[in-house]
Amino acid sequence: MKNESTTIDVHGESSSAMKGKAPLIGLATSGGSGGYKRGLTIFDFLLRLAAIIAAAVAAATMFTSDETLPFFTQFLQFEAGYDDLPTFQFFVIAMSLVAGYLVLSLPFSVVTIVRPLATAPRLLLLVLDTAVLVLNVAAASSAAAISYLAHSGNQNTNWLPICQQFGDFCQKTSGAVVSSFISVVFFTILIVLSGVALKKH
Amino acid sequence: MKSGQAEIVEISKGIQKSGLTSRRIAILEFILRIVAFFNTISSAILMGTTNETLPFFTQFIRFRAEYSDLPALTFFVVANAVVSGYLILSLALAFIHIVKSKTQNSRILLIILDVAMLGLLTAGASSAAAIVYLAHNGNNKTNWFSICQQFNSFCERISGSLIGSFIGVVLLILLILLSAIALSRRH
Repeated sequence: MKNESTTIDVHGESSSAMKGKAPLIGLATSGGSGGYKRGLTIFDFLLRLAAIIAAAVAAATMFTSDETLPFFTQFLQFEAGYDDLPTFQFFVIAMSLVAGYLVLSLPFSVVTIVRPLATAPRLLLLVLDTAVLVLNVAAASSAAAISYLAHSGNQNTNWLPICQQFGDFCQKTSGAVVSSFISVVFFTILIVLSGVALKKH
Repeated sequence: MKSGQAEIVEISKGIQKSGLTSRRIAILEFILRIVAFFNTISSAILMGTTNETLPFFTQFIRFRAEYSDLPALTFFVVANAVVSGYLILSLALAFIHIVKSKTQNSRILLIILDVAMLGLLTAGASSAAAIVYLAHNGNNKTNWFSICQQFNSFCERISGSLIGSFIGVVLLILLILLSAIALSRRH
């Protein structure tokens, strides 16, 4: 009888001691890994909003960059728009696709905020972000190459700089290219954030 | 109890050995890096060694075409050279990933560098593509005429060297995807 009571007390002490320790361990792991990931995903959501603005501004500025000169010349066109150069047409279409993708990816970002330990939505977002980053960089750099050519011309190939006549057109297209590169920077940070948040401890 | 625990350990080891393990992902990454290196270095060399001299004089047009005549093509050569140098140096890190098991932090560093190199390579490839398209077709509205009508072999070579660079872009995307999958796995 006495032995049984002592053994019961020992079991009781050890189980209560374990019950005391277990909740602390549980709190440490869930707070540690869930807390900073939630902060990262909120920052990810805010970056997506900023990138939507950058991409939409780039597409809209290029789309509305038409300029008509008030006089006639015999040799040069007196009207310039984004659809005169196929590269700028590609730029407008690509930046609109980028902005549309970002709007559609906002729900996935919200899902990763709500469930900070799920990896499937994060992985999907990382892959799609990489593909759209490539599209964004392609549009931005090809438009930058054509813009540079329009500003400086090329003596070796006898291509004249058209910016000397079309000042406003050149300014607007350069502004659109700059806004597109800002969107590229946001995308790079988004991809790095997704990669860091994917880490398993 | 003990036999049940041993069964659980055996089943988990079995899951680890079948399918996409971290080691197989690391080996695939190593191979893809080598292939991407060959693509980018061959693009850089092909573009860097193009020049064509026409056998006759004309009053208006230059009779010699080189890659350095167009700044976008120079940027293409530099970007491809930098990315191929990075791919060779990152082969060492990829080899460490094959051997070591706990590679989380170095994989994050590799993702950051891969994304930066992807951006640089895509920028070089697409600006060169825009200029090559202009060289092929010209533009009526801006009075830029197409130089490919005179310099045929120059145009063919610069168009061909773009292909290797775009394949390198696709391979870099695959490498980033593989690094992300390896990061998100538990073992």
